[in-house]
Amino acid sequence: MAGELIGNILTLIVLAGLGAAGVLAVILWKKNRASRVSFLRFVIQAVGLAALFFLFALEPAIPLLYILIAWFAATLFLGRFFCGWICPFAFIMDVESVVRRALKIRHRLLPEKLNVALHKGRYLILAAFLLLPIALWVVDPPPNTASAVMMGQLLAGPFRPYSIIIDPLIPPVVPWTGQLILGDINLSYPYVGDIVTFIEATPGQILALAFVAVTLIGAFFIRRVWCRFCPAGASIASLNQFKAFKGVPLLYIDKDEEKCTKCGVCKRVCPAQVNEVYEQKGGKINTSQCMLCARCVEMCPYKDALKIKLANKTVFESRNWLEPSIESEERKIE
Amino acid sequence: MSKEKTVERRYLPEISQKEMAELKNTVKTASQKIIADNIERMKKADPHRPEAMKYFDDIANLFGRRQQEIQAEKERGKKVIGYMCLFAPTELILAADAIPVRVNSGWYDTSKVGDRVVPVEVCPVIRSTIGAKMIELSPFLEQSDALISVLTCDGMTKLGEILSDQTTVWGMNVPRVKDSNQSLRFWSDEIKHMKAQIESLTGNKITRKSLKEAIANSHRATKAFRRLQDLRKANPVILGRDAMLVNQAYSWDDQKRWTEKTEALCAELEVRVQQKDWVCSPDTPRIMLTGTPMFWPDNWKLPALVEEGSPSGVIVADEQCSGERILNDPVGVDEWSMDDMLNAISERYLMASTCPCFTSKDGNEDRINWLLNKVKESNVQGVIYYVIRGCMLYAMEYSRVKKALDKINIPVYYLDTEYTREDVGQLKTRVEAFLELLNARVDF
Amino acid sequence: MITVGMDLGTQRVKAVVLKDGTVVGRAQAFAGFDPAKVAEQAVNDALSAANLSLKDVNHFTATGSAMDIAPHANSTVSMMGADAKAGVFLIPQARTIIDVGAEEARAVKCDDRGLMTEFVVNERCAAGAGAFIEAMARALEVKLEDMGTLALQAERASPINASCVIFGESDVVSLIHRQESKPEIARAVFDAMADRVSAMVHRLGINPVVVLSGGVAKDPGFIASLNRKLDLTVTVPEYPDYVGALGAALIAATRAKGASK
Repeated sequence: MAGELIGNILTLIVLAGLGAAGVLAVILWKKNRASRVSFLRFVIQAVGLAALFFLFALEPAIPLLYILIAWFAATLFLGRFFCGWICPFAFIMDVESVVRRALKIRHRLLPEKLNVALHKGRYLILAAFLLLPIALWVVDPPPNTASAVMMGQLLAGPFRPYSIIIDPLIPPVVPWTGQLILGDINLSYPYVGDIVTFIEATPGQILALAFVAVTLIGAFFIRRVWCRFCPAGASIASLNQFKAFKGVPLLYIDKDEEKCTKCGVCKRVCPAQVNEVYEQKGGKINTSQCMLCARCVEMCPYKDALKIKLANKTVFESRNWLEPSIESEERKIE
Repeated sequence: MSKEKTVERRYLPEISQKEMAELKNTVKTASQKIIADNIERMKKADPHRPEAMKYFDDIANLFGRRQQEIQAEKERGKKVIGYMCLFAPTELILAADAIPVRVNSGWYDTSKVGDRVVPVEVCPVIRSTIGAKMIELSPFLEQSDALISVLTCDGMTKLGEILSDQTTVWGMNVPRVKDSNQSLRFWSDEIKHMKAQIESLTGNKITRKSLKEAIANSHRATKAFRRLQDLRKANPVILGRDAMLVNQAYSWDDQKRWTEKTEALCAELEVRVQQKDWVCSPDTPRIMLTGTPMFWPDNWKLPALVEEGSPSGVIVADEQCSGERILNDPVGVDEWSMDDMLNAISERYLMASTCPCFTSKDGNEDRINWLLNKVKESNVQGVIYYVIRGCMLYAMEYSRVKKALDKINIPVYYLDTEYTREDVGQLKTRVEAFLELLNARVDF
Repeated sequence: MITVGMDLGTQRVKAVVLKDGTVVGRAQAFAGFDPAKVAEQAVNDALSAANLSLKDVNHFTATGSAMDIAPHANSTVSMMGADAKAGVFLIPQARTIIDVGAEEARAVKCDDRGLMTEFVVNERCAAGAGAFIEAMARALEVKLEDMGTLALQAERASPINASCVIFGESDVVSLIHRQESKPEIARAVFDAMADRVSAMVHRLGINPVVVLSGGVAKDPGFIASLNRKLDLTVTVPEYPDYVGALGAALIAATRAKGASK
């Protein structure tokens, strides 16, 4: 009992330390913006990954449901900031991109129409999974015992509908969700646990392996491929697209039309192939496709043309972008 | 009678060697005088001219140092590729270890020679370039092993064709609708094709590494350029003409040296900012030029009038493809793979351009936005819209520009002129009246 | 306070002497080959008309295309600036001043203080200026002064092209060959010219009241044509050809006041 408590306290200390590290990274970057925001994002992602690891390792583990609620509440105000800056699954994909870039392999683009279709289709996927337990209940009514209990079982049981939203939080390093056994190594991977539980035995294993292979290889060639239709991303941020919720997001990209020459850099560098930043005439960029990763703001060569604003205060703006980046590139050339 | 050799030409008229030599001689003498004169006037207008401008004065002599340098490089086996529009991807030329030079000509006298080939209604930039070719005046045009002719306006389209009588000319087809995917695809193909052509002419393969270096060097130049532009945004420390000359010199100077010298100029100017050593009174009306490109040396008449008139103004910004547009936009590379670099180059040259030859969903809105932004950033008090006879595109865009500038209450004056030196008197009254108008606005 | 305004135009040199806000003397002369000398003469004439001499003058201001060679000038002002100043001085409601001189037509928009806010100049073409009428009068063998009254007798308009004086003349010749009557041709000349001037004014935009000044404003034929083209009635001050010089004199007065302060 005491040992467990000490363990938990230690975990909390590490967690706090990680949080502090993240804050420190932001402060350091704020002081010297010459360092690129992409590097900062990488640091935050790594810190976030470690923090989640400890969060899950905490005994008793914080139920995923609470994280889900907190996450939803945050997306309402921060948009998909979580996806861009913390999500461990996205981090894996970003790491893959870095490897690909190091290997000088070009990235592929999804056809624009498919990209938009996936973006819209994810709501359907989400709805289907959420409704599945209810559908099952209707098709195959449970015995006349307390139906509420049965419903609870369906929702929280082996097939947890909410896990479709929460699962991208499960990066391979979170140990105890591991259902995918390769040789002796117990791996974990988003959705694999569900697939294996739901479809038993070999087919499940094969399907799980296939899923892992497709997403990993896909993400290698197509930047952030999963994010295009990630059901987790189909979050409440999408609500902000409705007029009544327009004022709600506090964190957003702001575009100054006059400063823009429509050079197209923002469109090309976007890892999620978001067109709105390029196409929209100016003002608040309104799309739940955008993960606020700030790559476009970082690469925009016109001062103040793009800004990331938090509650109407500019936190990051495009500069004469050549300033820092070219110097760092210079070192690489010479 | 001495033997006179003539060359057969499709467009250019037969012109005897003797006549050519005579014409070349007179025009060259006249233009050397004009160059010297312009520089002299610039020195006079700013008695305390930055030291670093000496270098640019030297480079501004089109028949001087730079010509010899290029000649020496050519003898060492380097190729020279001339271009007539800013759309030519200079990064590719540099990456193939060739020398890019802009060959548009700004001589009045050669435009008169060009009248023998094309009617006087044609834009003088075209006539002058044709004339320069006819009498082999322009050193850079003569040194070019190939010319990149970008089919932007009608004049440029046919100019390439006419010049192809004597030189290899590569046409580059520009899509006129800028903001569509198919345009970009088309233009990307043109860029790739141009890459192949440059490679085959120079015999040097454009590698990922060489292209990356060329892009990085261009970035450095853009950085120096932006530093200079930023210095012009506050109280004036440099005459507009000087800055315009610096910008334009880039199109024939050695890139690395230009960057160094411009940085040196900026360093000198930054000291002046600290010492509050203004080149003219800070309440001098701040003028922006836009419209038809002003090529050195004969087009310097208008900037000279603005900055030497009574009352006088100071040019703090321009939107011209002979000025700020040369270097304003960097190639924004995301990933340093060959593919992405080429993509970035195509986008930079097509989409970032504010040339009036384009239209889009909103018309040429980018240009309007650029103008409005410049006006605000540089605290411009008046805009001179400069159009030379025959320049349709700029003339036709005037009404929209005027409306946009009216909205933010910035006076704009439409100035119609030619390459001639004779209309200076008329221009003077107009420019001075406009400056008077601006002064009156400030007084009240 | 006594100030003098000189307008060194392309054809005539005009001088106005202003004493405390009222015109006390005016004179003009043909510019000829030595405008500086002629200007001297005009100034002396104007001053002697007012019984004054050069010594009494507080400030000289010159305007017009040859303003830089004006004798005695303390300062210069652009023609548009002078037009605006004088236009509003003469007709306080004036907001647009059209000045049609011998070789140039101008239009100026101004505010209630007589400060120009915008202007246009006809671009290097005499077809919109007085020289056009002169050339056409020659072709019609009519005295320049009679062109206007002649045009007013016309019953209908016959169109000619006013893109250029030379081609305009050939158009007139073809009208003569078609045996059109002189009044009609004269009206066609004024119509063509008014066409060009009104196109220029429309480019600028019209703020009423519109004042017409310059030498051509003395011609009733042109006024009638311009009124038709602009679809309004332009106001013509009493001495339209002196408007530029008057504006210069008025500006000289403000400048002298500013200097004495």
